[in-house]
Amino acid sequence: MRPFLLRMIFAMVVALGFSAEAGRAQMPRERVDPGGPVEEVFWAPSAILGSSVYNLPQGNLNVTIMHAFGIVTNGVRDLFGLDGAANIRFGADYGVHDRLSIGVGRSRFDKLYDVRFKAKLLRQMKDNTPPVDVALKGDVGIMTVENGFDGADRLSYLASLMIARAFGERASLQVTPMFSHFNTVFIERGSGRILEEENDHVALGLTGRVVLNRRLALQVEYMPVLGARSDGTTNALSVGLDIETGGHVFQLFFTTSPWLTEQHVIARNDDDFFDGDFRFGFNVNRVFRLGGGE
Amino acid sequence: MDELESEGMGGWRRGRGEHRLLFPLQFIQTPLRPHVLRLVAACLLWTLVAVPAVWGQAFMTKTGHAEFTSSVPLHTFTGTSEHLVGRISLPDSTVDFYLDLTTLETGIGKRDKDMRTTLETDTYPFAEFFGTLVTPFDPDREGAQPVTVRGAFTLHGVTREVTIDGTLRRTAEGLKVEAAWEINLNDYNITPPSLLIVRVDEVQKVRIEALLEPVERS
Repeated sequence: MRPFLLRMIFAMVVALGFSAEAGRAQMPRERVDPGGPVEEVFWAPSAILGSSVYNLPQGNLNVTIMHAFGIVTNGVRDLFGLDGAANIRFGADYGVHDRLSIGVGRSRFDKLYDVRFKAKLLRQMKDNTPPVDVALKGDVGIMTVENGFDGADRLSYLASLMIARAFGERASLQVTPMFSHFNTVFIERGSGRILEEENDHVALGLTGRVVLNRRLALQVEYMPVLGARSDGTTNALSVGLDIETGGHVFQLFFTTSPWLTEQHVIARNDDDFFDGDFRFGFNVNRVFRLGGGE
Repeated sequence: MDELESEGMGGWRRGRGEHRLLFPLQFIQTPLRPHVLRLVAACLLWTLVAVPAVWGQAFMTKTGHAEFTSSVPLHTFTGTSEHLVGRISLPDSTVDFYLDLTTLETGIGKRDKDMRTTLETDTYPFAEFFGTLVTPFDPDREGAQPVTVRGAFTLHGVTREVTIDGTLRRTAEGLKVEAAWEINLNDYNITPPSLLIVRVDEVQKVRIEALLEPVERS
C-alpha cells in the first residue's frame, strides 16, 4: 500500500476517533437559575409578635396559634404567668401567589378579628441584585367585644413595610416602618385612670435573627414608637427561640406585650422588659399544601 | 492554476503522467493513481454522508420530568421537576442525564428548603448519570422496548456504579424514555431529614420520563 494511502486512512481514523470521543463526552452541567433567591431570610411569617418578610408560596396554607401569658415575675403564685390572662390568636394565611398572601385571625383580647395581606415586593438574591427582601403588609382589625362601640368605631389598621437582609446563612436583620391607626381610642383604662391615647402611632420595628444551627435560631424584636404616643405606653421588646422541625416552626419567647397584632403592640404595650414585666409566649406555625394533597 | 485541468472524479492533472491532490496539508501531496483517488473520494463521501446520518441518532431534552417519592410512617410526599436534561446517543450507546436539584418542588416551600439543605444543593447542585446502554435497542421497532443502562450515578458528591432498567420507545417526535429505580440516601452520605421526631425513610423512589428529540451534532 502506498504511503499516501496509509496516511490518509490514518488521518481519517484519528479524525473519526476524536469525533467519537467527543460524542461520548458528558454534556456541560448548567444550573437552571444560577443566582436564585436567598432561602428564607426568616423561617415563619411571624418573627415574634410582628410579621417577617417570609412569604408563603402559592397554594401553601400557614396555620398559626399564638399565645402570650401573664407576667413571669409574679412568681410561683400564678405559676410564672401561666395562670394569668392569656391572649390567644388563631390565624391562617394562604399564599394566593408566590408574592402575595392573605390571612385572617381571631384574638381573645377585645374579641378581635383581623384580616391582612402581605405582598413581597423584592426578594434578596444570592448575587445581591437586589440585596434585600421587601414586603408590604396591611391589617385591619375589628373588635367585637361588647363595649357600646358601633361600626367603624371598632376598627383599627396597620400598614408596614418590611425591609430585611440575610447576612450569610447565620444572621438576618429586618427594619420595619409601621403606621397604626385606631378609629376610636379608650380614654379610661384600669381603675378609672384617665389617659390620653393617640389615634395614630408611627413605629420602627427592628428584628434580628441569629441561626444557631439547622433547627434553632435566636430572635430579638424591638418596636420603638417614634413621635407622639399614648400615655403610659412603652416600647415592646421580645426575645425568642425558633425551633424548625421540618414541618412546624415553634417560636418560644418572652415579651412585654400581651397583644398579638402589631397595631395593638405598638399602641397599647405598657410593660417594660427591664422592670421584669415580661411574659412567656409561644407561636406554633404549620404549613399545609392546599389543592393537591401532601 | 493555469497548468491544471480537470480529469474526472476527484483528480487533477498536473504535468505529464502525474496526479496530485491539492490539499493544504503538504504531507499528502503525493502522486496518486486514479483508482486511489477514487478510493479516497469514496471515503470522503462516506465521511460526509454516512457518518452524519449515524450522528443524527442522538436525542436530547432539557424539559424531562423527574420525581422522587419519600415516605414517613403514615405519609408520603413527592417532589417533581420538569428540568431534567438528558441525551442519548445510539451509535455509541451513551446515556447522559442530569438534574438541577434546586428545581425539585414538593408543593410546600418550607419542605423544599429543608430538602435543599439536606442535599446541600449549594455545594452539590446536580444529580447525574453517565453510562451506556448495555442491552440492544432497535430504533426501527415500534413500541416500548425494555432496556438496561449501566454507569455512574452521582448525588451529593458521591458516585456509585448503578444498573437501571427502563424502557425506550421510538416515536415520531423522538425517543421516549421511562425509568424507575430506588436509591438509598445512606449510600450517598445523606442523612434523611426528620419531620418532628419521625425520620424520612432512607430509601427514595425515583422516576424519570422524558421525550428526547433528535439533535444534529456540531
